[in-house]
Amino acid sequence: MKKFAKSLAIIAAAGLTLTACSAQADSGDSGDAKGAPTELVVTSFGGDWEAAYIEAVVEPFEEEYNAEITLVTLYSADAMAQLTAQKANPQLDVVHFSGGQEVAAAADGLIESIDPADLSNLDDLYPIAAEGVERGEGPVMQVTPIGLVYRTDKIEKAPTSWDDINNPDYAQHVALTDLSNTYGLLTLLAVNQHEGGDLDDIQPGLDSLGALVDSGAAFVIKTSADMQQAFSARDVWIAPYAQDYAETLRKADLPVEFALPSEGAPASFITANVVAGRDNADLATQLVDFSLRPEVQAKFAESMYYSPVNTKAELSDETGSRVVHGEDFGKLVRYDSAVVNEKRQSWTDAWNSRIAQ
Amino acid sequence: MRHLRVEPWLLVLPVVVLLLIGFVLPVGTVLLSSVTTTGGGWTLENFSRFFESSFHLGAAWRSIRLAVIQTIVVLVISLPLAYVMTRVSARVQAFMMIAIVLPLMTSVVVRSFGWVILLGPAGPLADIPGFLQLSRTNQGLLGTELGINIAMVQVLIPFAVLSILGVLNGVDRRLEEASRTMGASFARTFGNVILPLSVPGLIAGGTLVFAMSISSFITPNLIGGAQIPVVASIIYTDATTNLNWPFAAAQSVLMLIVVLATIGITSKLAARNR
Repeated sequence: MKKFAKSLAIIAAAGLTLTACSAQADSGDSGDAKGAPTELVVTSFGGDWEAAYIEAVVEPFEEEYNAEITLVTLYSADAMAQLTAQKANPQLDVVHFSGGQEVAAAADGLIESIDPADLSNLDDLYPIAAEGVERGEGPVMQVTPIGLVYRTDKIEKAPTSWDDINNPDYAQHVALTDLSNTYGLLTLLAVNQHEGGDLDDIQPGLDSLGALVDSGAAFVIKTSADMQQAFSARDVWIAPYAQDYAETLRKADLPVEFALPSEGAPASFITANVVAGRDNADLATQLVDFSLRPEVQAKFAESMYYSPVNTKAELSDETGSRVVHGEDFGKLVRYDSAVVNEKRQSWTDAWNSRIAQ
Repeated sequence: MRHLRVEPWLLVLPVVVLLLIGFVLPVGTVLLSSVTTTGGGWTLENFSRFFESSFHLGAAWRSIRLAVIQTIVVLVISLPLAYVMTRVSARVQAFMMIAIVLPLMTSVVVRSFGWVILLGPAGPLADIPGFLQLSRTNQGLLGTELGINIAMVQVLIPFAVLSILGVLNGVDRRLEEASRTMGASFARTFGNVILPLSVPGLIAGGTLVFAMSISSFITPNLIGGAQIPVVASIIYTDATTNLNWPFAAAQSVLMLIVVLATIGITSKLAARNR
């Protein structure tokens, strides 16, 4: 027993030493020597997104501004949770949100209200990308519209309307996305709006998609991976989904294109936000501004097939034909994320009951 | 003598510590979070929400139904298989063992994707007339409970075979020979001698398979999709997408109760059998 107690003590002591060491390392980092690059901690969505962001933003920005950017992979909800938890002592400089969290973050004072004068590219942005700045939110940095992804070898004439998923010729070749997925949620809202509903009444959308599912013309998948499977192994010809995902499918050798419904379409908006209460807010603002530059926006479009938010971004012919930009950009709709987040649970419940067999 | 009292405890200490950290603490936290409000008070709201929702009750009924069907089918397939394995040469048995255990080495996601291809419109079965019409969406067995059952049975068989094999290996072969020399047919020997002797293995394997079946969500998600919801996949969505942990916890508690009740009943059965 004595021996056991002794070894416990040793383990405990080792543990203490370790924590002490790491605490020391932490405090060592925060003291900057003069002339050394200024550090910014920036959230990333990981994977391909991160690779493209490093190439388009991190590397050129570090060189131009003598900065050192540390990327932290944090999805929107997790980033929001961290910001809230660290309110007194924030550890992040720039936070990217894809789920509309910037509205709540601005209301809670977690992100800095950026002076429009500090964003040199703001005037060149499409209005829908710039307008959030006035409300104290960060500007929209990337946009992926939700429209109709379709097989070009099965559907000759590009779809033009949300009604096209109801085309009897495509019956049993339509895939819808579950509401647990944001793209599925946006699809429901888009169809709902097209059928005459609004955020206070989603019944028209539920009825339309519900009827499609009931008739067996469409089935419902859950995740992005399932969507690739649906196109490759489940004989799906058309599905409401994201513009950038069409490129993911093309990379998997599937003959698909993305079409924007003429009635207008929702989109997933990624915002870049400066965290409140940090020492390097000015540099962080410059990073946000940098990411809005036309050439950076063009890179996002070329590598990730996001729609550029800067009207001056110049795209190659191939990319230009595949990403929504210019006049079409005006057809994109941004829903009030405060309302969406508040009602999402009840919509999900209604949807689940509607489609479950 | 004193040492003898301490050492057994030392031997189980790693497991006790592991169980405390890896099971008792998290399960305790889950239990607590299912009955507490964000303010710190007590509530049964998460449970009443479950029982008042026809969607959740429907999914619960489906989960139990699928688990029962899969357990029965798995046992019916596994018993003869395990029996054959005890009657073949050591080399053949080793080969069969590898064949049964090997699928466990691959991720369940990969195996399920294999089933998605096999059971769907791009698979070889799609050429059979009428196969695609098995689902309303012309997807073959995808999006059907039968499809989920087929894929899950394949995933679960190794666990049952290993449980039954462990028991059958300990059965004295002379019992069987005695039965046959007394004139009993093979079928009668199997029914009156082998089957009763394998009951402990059937109970252990059946319990394991039932618990694994009712808590699996990857295969049901991939084969069944959003339209065939099971409780385990609803819990997963509530915890990871909706971030409604208390509700997910409440559903986990209900599932735990079902599994514990099953274990209680089967261990009673096992005790009576002894």
